[in-house]
Amino acid sequence: MSVLREMIENLFSRPVTILYPWTKVPIPDTFRGRVANTDELCIGCSKCSLVCPAQVITMIDGPRDVEFKGKNLARKKRPQIDLFKCIRCGLCERYCPTGSIHLEHVQGVTGTDRDVMVT
Amino acid sequence: MIDPVFILIYIFVFPGFLFLFAYALFLSYLDRKIAARMQQRVGPPFYQPFADLIKMLGKEVINPHGVDWRIFDAIPVVALAAVMTAFLYVPVTGASPLAFSGDLIVVLYLMTLPTIALFLLGWLSRNIFSAIGGIRAVTQLFIYEVPFFLALLTPAIMAGSWSISEIVLWQQHNLWLVFLQPIGFIVALIGLQAKLERTPFDIPEAETEVVAGPWTELTGRRLALMHLTTEVSLVVGSTLIAALFLGGPLLPWTLSPAWLNGACGFGLFLVKTLAVLLVLSSITVATGRLRIDQLNDIGWKYLASAALVQVGIVLVINYLWVIP
Amino acid sequence: MPEVVVPIGPHHPALKEPVNFRIIADGEKIVRLELDLSYNHRGIEKAAEQRNFIRVLPLLERVCGICSHSHATAFAKGIEEIMGVEIPPRAQYIRTIIAELERMHSHLLWLGVAAHEIGFNTLFMWTWRDREAVQDTLEEMSGNRVHYGMNEIGGVRCDLTTAQINAALSRLPVLEERIKKYQEMVNSEETMLIRFRGVGRMSKEEALKYGAVGPTARASGVDYDVRRDDPYLAYPEVPWNVITDTRGDVYGRTRVRVGELWESTQIVRSCLENLPAGPIRVEAPKNAPKGEIFSRYEAPRGELAHFIRTNGTDKAERVDIRSPTLANWTSVAMCLVNQNLADIPVIVAAIDPCLSCTCRMVVVNQKSGTTDMAEPGFAGDPGGRRYRGRP
Repeated sequence: MSVLREMIENLFSRPVTILYPWTKVPIPDTFRGRVANTDELCIGCSKCSLVCPAQVITMIDGPRDVEFKGKNLARKKRPQIDLFKCIRCGLCERYCPTGSIHLEHVQGVTGTDRDVMVT
Repeated sequence: MIDPVFILIYIFVFPGFLFLFAYALFLSYLDRKIAARMQQRVGPPFYQPFADLIKMLGKEVINPHGVDWRIFDAIPVVALAAVMTAFLYVPVTGASPLAFSGDLIVVLYLMTLPTIALFLLGWLSRNIFSAIGGIRAVTQLFIYEVPFFLALLTPAIMAGSWSISEIVLWQQHNLWLVFLQPIGFIVALIGLQAKLERTPFDIPEAETEVVAGPWTELTGRRLALMHLTTEVSLVVGSTLIAALFLGGPLLPWTLSPAWLNGACGFGLFLVKTLAVLLVLSSITVATGRLRIDQLNDIGWKYLASAALVQVGIVLVINYLWVIP
Repeated sequence: MPEVVVPIGPHHPALKEPVNFRIIADGEKIVRLELDLSYNHRGIEKAAEQRNFIRVLPLLERVCGICSHSHATAFAKGIEEIMGVEIPPRAQYIRTIIAELERMHSHLLWLGVAAHEIGFNTLFMWTWRDREAVQDTLEEMSGNRVHYGMNEIGGVRCDLTTAQINAALSRLPVLEERIKKYQEMVNSEETMLIRFRGVGRMSKEEALKYGAVGPTARASGVDYDVRRDDPYLAYPEVPWNVITDTRGDVYGRTRVRVGELWESTQIVRSCLENLPAGPIRVEAPKNAPKGEIFSRYEAPRGELAHFIRTNGTDKAERVDIRSPTLANWTSVAMCLVNQNLADIPVIVAAIDPCLSCTCRMVVVNQKSGTTDMAEPGFAGDPGGRRYRGRP
């Protein structure tokens, strides 16, 4: 009986489907989306590359003068991430000392080129 | 003598085959939409069954190795032709001009043909799942056929005629038969659900048990025609129940301009078949599938005995009213 | 009809993951069953030997999507015990909250799949709609709907803010009301009762003899739950009950799982309201001392066991995963004999199979032309176990 009553109630109420892409899905601000690196903050310590479980971060040449904790450092390398191999686990963001590498709160990142690199 | 042009328009345009296809696709859309809304989903748009039909007609036809492709091509066409012919004898805007005494039996026989077609398809596909599905289809036919036929023959006994149009005319002068034979109405609805192989009786096609049963090896235009057969059977079945129990497309009084009478009759036909569809959709949404041996139990213990009781009551009523 | 072989799998609409049942059937009755489980093998146990303790946790999480937190927590718990690291109470509570939320989403998923197997698609749509509330909560807390990534050696990765706790608490009353409705539906819905009652019955002695675990065993009256009998995380401090049933058939297992759904909501509510303050992680050493540990955890499907051997480096030397589904397959092979063909999806779905957790190697013998599924020995035992139905 409870099934019948619920069926008839549902017939007169709104469906719960979110009509994506006409309606946007609400994304919380802890969402783990696309990986990105802020070049101004990165000190090139390679910690992200060492903890990545999928080994998608390689360190390439990227000299820049960065300020970190009041000291001026001459950075030698910066990370290059294979965007579509990243499993978005968040370990790089957790172990980064400056907060430069992070996961953005965007959903549904797609592309046609399989070897897109993010630096 | 009946005007041949009128007959041709009746058969091919309205309320013949063109109207039949349009109405079958519309009822299929409504069935899916009602089921979806009851489950709090959105459901397909109104052109979905038509789009499905066009898409399937354009797909590749795959012949399994060792299967006779000529029979595989012919069987869906024969099944579709059978149910389309059955629609010509049920009343849509008034009495059918092709009616004759005994057309109730012809309609019932023609509606059985799709099930036999499914069994043949299942048996001839060299596939274990199709064979099991085909055997289940025929077993189900044996189980529900007796109560279903008995429930649909009691209106004929009470109205004293074997023609559907005359039963409808009888109901115009007396009460609707659903009030005089409620048990028969319920048995007929359950039997119709079993004939159309919808949940809880979609045992031959059980997706999680036998892949798709006899439908497994159908592809392309064969699948499109077989699917269309199911949809047309839904129309013919609900029209039959509406005509035999709910009074068909006739009002208890005749309106004076003939075209107004026809239009009102057509409107009543739409309302009554949609009501039957609503009940059938609700049964589909509210239940799960039965097992074939459980259907055996229920069919013979409850449905057949209810139908026999109904026949007994009708015979007693006829005897008491006719003799004194 | 003479005896025919009905191949269920590896591709079949009844199965969500590939597994090969070769059913020998006589008409609609099943005579014998032959089982082959090797289709999802990915070599995760070997890959885990080459990653250090920080990098191995996301790998072990991805053994299974539905019980991902179970694998990660079982491993983390084991390594922390070898290292002698005590994690702070706030981290214990957060791990418990995520574990119970995972149990809820897994049981709601199972209820929908069981209804779908008997053709009752309405209940499937409704339970998956309610599962969205649990998934939204998990997404807010951890950032992803599956593969939460909450665990680290030494604690959890991220904290729960007050806003997240309040949002989770506001979703709980709706879930509790829906679960009460499902309890009532399971007890009174005719087609579910008629398809589930008396199907796949297993007595208590048979459950113990064939090594069934989890809700499958608890439905046969085996009163064993790792959360109570070998306690871990915050379970000793939170009031909850173990749900058992005496029927032993699919209906009993349904009742156990719906009962566990209710208990999980109570545990989550209690943990959210009494979350202790403090740090969420401690600093763990890089290398683990030499040792062996057998870490047990109550996954949604039953008792999950990780055997870990470490040798003083920063990697595990051997990880052996005994998932609950692996223990339950023998009971399926035993229950299916003499049942109807139409009951196969129901009985298989009743143990809540998760083939991704289960798969082991296949041994191909070229000389004799056989393909056997063998399980390499456990904790030094060199024997192989073969999974076939009765001869």
